[in-house]
Amino acid sequence: MKGRKTLYLALVILGLCLVIAALILREADIPDSAGGALMGSGSGLAAMGLAQLLTLRAERKDPVQARKKEIEVHDERNVAIRRRAKALSGDALQWAILAVAWVSIGFGAPLWMTLAAVVVFVLKSMLEVCLVVRYQREM
Amino acid sequence: MKNRLEELRKARGLRQEELAEALEVSRQTIGSLENGRYNPSILLAFKLSRYFGVPIEEIFIYEEEAT
Repeated sequence: MKGRKTLYLALVILGLCLVIAALILREADIPDSAGGALMGSGSGLAAMGLAQLLTLRAERKDPVQARKKEIEVHDERNVAIRRRAKALSGDALQWAILAVAWVSIGFGAPLWMTLAAVVVFVLKSMLEVCLVVRYQREM
Repeated sequence: MKNRLEELRKARGLRQEELAEALEVSRQTIGSLENGRYNPSILLAFKLSRYFGVPIEEIFIYEEEAT
């Protein structure tokens, strides 16, 4: 618990530092994209850390509810449901990306767009095969 | 796969919530098991078997699918 609190506190501090750096560097001659990236990642980290700290606080105040939530998260049926949903949505996304590639050809979109879609499709397929091989060895 | 979970639970006067808490699963999982919508892992099947003190075969009834 203490380790997690330290980690989330560090995330908030790091996030705030990035936001401050973005504000200071705004005056300097840095590209807008760099400032935006600093501000975006900084505020994202700070918000994530803060949300986790608030969750930890709520868990500390109500251990019964926290235990219930932990059981819900690790419940085998819930885990199976989440895994199935992720697998199916991943499949749907993969075919949607291939459809984007075809549509982009039809609309005469730039070649890089079609190629990017195809590359993502191929990479996802390769990752799937690698994971199948890995799980076949493990199980 | 059919099971006698609801019967065993009710015979002991337990609510779904109480059984779920004892087995560290959600109440919905107990409900789904009782309705036959979900088949448990072998670990959960053993937990149930130990909890009720009966062999797994007496809780879960495996029936060959008609071909």
